[in-house]
Amino acid sequence: MPDPLSVLTSMSITLDQITKRYQNTPVVNDVSLEVGDGEFFVLLGASGSGKSTLLRAIAGLTGVDHGRISLHGRDVTQVSPRKREVGFVFQNYALFKHMSVADNIEFALRVRGVKSAERRARRQELLKLVALEGMDDRLPTQLSGGQQQRVAVARALAHKPQVLLMDEPFGALDAKIREELRRTIREVQRELKISTILVTHDQEEAFALADRIGVMNLGRLLEVGRPEELYARPATRFVATFLGAANLLLARQTAQGIRVGATPVTTSLDKLDQRAELRREHEVVAMLRPEEIALAEHRDSLNSIYLGAGKVETIGFTGAFERLRVRMLEADKATLSADADEDNLAILDVTRTQHEQRLLPLTVGQSVAVGVRRIHVLPTPLSSYSVYATTAVAVETLKQHPLLVDLATRMKTRIITHVEPHLGQVVPTKSQAPLAGVAVIAAGSNAVTQLEWLLQRGTCEVLILPEQYVPITRVLIHWTGEEVRRATLSVAASVLRHVPAEATYLNILPETESEASKPAGMRELLDARSEAQAVHGLEMRTELHYGDTVPLLQRELSQQNSHMLILGVIDHADVKQRFDALLQQSANCPVLLVFRADDSSSVGKRV
Amino acid sequence: MAESRQHTVLPGFGLTVGYTTFFLSAIVLIPLAAMVLKASSLSFSQFIAVLLDPRVIASYKLTFGTSLLAALINVVFGFLIAWSLVRYDFPGRKVLDALIDMPFALPTAVSGIALTAVFAQDGWLGQQLARMGIQVVYTWLGITIALTLIGMPFVVRSVQPALAEVQRDLEDAAETLGANRFTVFWRIIFPTVLPALLTGFTMAFARGIGEYGSVIFIAGNLPMKTEITPLLIVIKLEQYDYVGAAALGCIMLGMSFVMLLSINLLQAWGRRRLFVGKR
Repeated sequence: MPDPLSVLTSMSITLDQITKRYQNTPVVNDVSLEVGDGEFFVLLGASGSGKSTLLRAIAGLTGVDHGRISLHGRDVTQVSPRKREVGFVFQNYALFKHMSVADNIEFALRVRGVKSAERRARRQELLKLVALEGMDDRLPTQLSGGQQQRVAVARALAHKPQVLLMDEPFGALDAKIREELRRTIREVQRELKISTILVTHDQEEAFALADRIGVMNLGRLLEVGRPEELYARPATRFVATFLGAANLLLARQTAQGIRVGATPVTTSLDKLDQRAELRREHEVVAMLRPEEIALAEHRDSLNSIYLGAGKVETIGFTGAFERLRVRMLEADKATLSADADEDNLAILDVTRTQHEQRLLPLTVGQSVAVGVRRIHVLPTPLSSYSVYATTAVAVETLKQHPLLVDLATRMKTRIITHVEPHLGQVVPTKSQAPLAGVAVIAAGSNAVTQLEWLLQRGTCEVLILPEQYVPITRVLIHWTGEEVRRATLSVAASVLRHVPAEATYLNILPETESEASKPAGMRELLDARSEAQAVHGLEMRTELHYGDTVPLLQRELSQQNSHMLILGVIDHADVKQRFDALLQQSANCPVLLVFRADDSSSVGKRV
Repeated sequence: MAESRQHTVLPGFGLTVGYTTFFLSAIVLIPLAAMVLKASSLSFSQFIAVLLDPRVIASYKLTFGTSLLAALINVVFGFLIAWSLVRYDFPGRKVLDALIDMPFALPTAVSGIALTAVFAQDGWLGQQLARMGIQVVYTWLGITIALTLIGMPFVVRSVQPALAEVQRDLEDAAETLGANRFTVFWRIIFPTVLPALLTGFTMAFARGIGEYGSVIFIAGNLPMKTEITPLLIVIKLEQYDYVGAAALGCIMLGMSFVMLLSINLLQAWGRRRLFVGKR
């Protein structure tokens, strides 16, 4: 496939759709990344997120199953680690214990046949750089942990590598030494202007060091950005909660602005997403940082947007800040917090400075007015899940579905249950409020009628779950019209952030015109891929097929039970006429249907 | 330990040391002393005469030579076995791992008979080798093979844990620094497991010198050619020449002791270099 990225040469490190699987599960899932010359890039993620595997892949210590790695414009995907000219620093230092500090540092030069005098000069230079002058003859075991890691850094830099890779270099050190070494590494990196990738699970460390941060979860690179940008305006729930504390609230976005429960909250404080797609009234996830929440005795004394009344639950002292938990007192059904108690009352994390604390001392149990200085709406299309079935038992069974539970837990959202005895039978008579979130129904012969019922009531996303469930390894993405492309991609991106599966977009063209339409088909694939990448942060493969849509999708789905289909449709009639068979027969695979009525099409294209 | 009043698992330093000394004396030192005493009933010239008997000298050469050779073979192949057991996961690895200990458990005479059966002129392997003009039984080659079999587990079992402890990161680090595989092995892995390898070598060597049961069948025991020292001692005993046997024993004792001591010192030096400052 031709690659538009190959023209870029000012990038130090270019990763193009790197995938690494262990026993069929992708541990690094379609990661593309560019690190600029002299940039300090931090890969942040929990353990098991695939960040270390990715780093090892860049160094060549782990092979990749798919994708390309370039260092300074040179494709090194097939190059052995010893020829990649990288410096690697390990968490446990990995110093050669039987060699002195000098021998350790000179190792890379010695294997390159550098003369003794030159080696010594370089060693002195490096030891000075890491502030370990005069330690030449020590053995690693005679040094402290911090000193050993300094030696390891010096050793990794000896052969003047093009890039420096560090795998949790501070992991084994205590807090004080960690900070000291962190400073040293930052200084060394600035001085040498060497492109660096550091892997860590510590967000504080990432903030302190990074020019840019990339957050990884479940093998995917979720978001990349400058620290302050990512902190203030994350695009995903995971990044919002991983980079510091965040209160996630379900809110409704309307043409007028954002409403949290019954309270309209203007979003003039933050740039409101003006995309037409979001102008239709729907449920959104709002992020409130604990430090952006204001507390006052009365609503009138708040000089920020009023959110509601609350009660102080707990107070904790952490030195510079006071940490409170405040329970919101309004149990509005629309305001379901991701973190709420049994009565659906949202609990907010609040931090206050010493100054705020002195102005308004609070005690546990006290009633307060809660305001918010800044709200950020996450551009994620999946807010919550609503399970629909005809009986209470069926609802409960469906609610326990492993895929649904996984998705809801990882999205930190809740599952609301609805028992609708007439689901799929009676056409809803009076116009009711549009349903919120993703509707969930069971697969089976009734699925299609139930689906129609839900679509008529204004549901836009319906998840159809099979009884038998195999963990998903591959998600197929397809849409029937350009109008729903954006919405489908956005939903797919959201789902794929929360399941460790590989994504493939299937473009299906009629068989008859296969040769003539091939260039256009390929272009569509590339367009879709770059839109997914640029707008939704989703990396996906693309496949071009010829034939009839429904049988083709059916064939793809029947290959393995571990496939899932995300299907974008624009026409009610389509569901009944074309996809009826697909939805009934591929009952073993979960299907997520994304529906957008035709009318949004005109604006959708303009964006 | 005695003065630092620390709580230890075994009670009483005095008691422990007493116990150790007593058993070491009763089982090792006193019998050895008795042997030396027995040998000393010979006059010096008689003693020398026993030692310098050409048949005896030939047996020394054979015993120490084949033991050394077998131990060296074991160092190479024992290392390889340990390497594949530690580094690779293959079907039957557990079974192979258990088989390593077989020479420990088998009566040595059984090993000797088995080897003789296989390597004899009309045996399984012996036939093939004979066709190539190589005779194994009744030659030093047969003895070496027997001693290799006996000594192999010592090397594997001492190298295995050391090899398992070599961090993969060390190899990875060396590789990112530009070292090729050969360099990684010689500069990183080998120095790290060298002490363990030396231990294994010492034990295999020591075992080879003392080995009797497995060798006498395959050796054929031709005087001056395939007679090992332990056999000579037995022959002397059977001829009621206790003093001569004791004299031969003393010499073996002395030579073995010097060798083991020097290897131990070498090891201690290596260990000090590797783990200095750790305690």
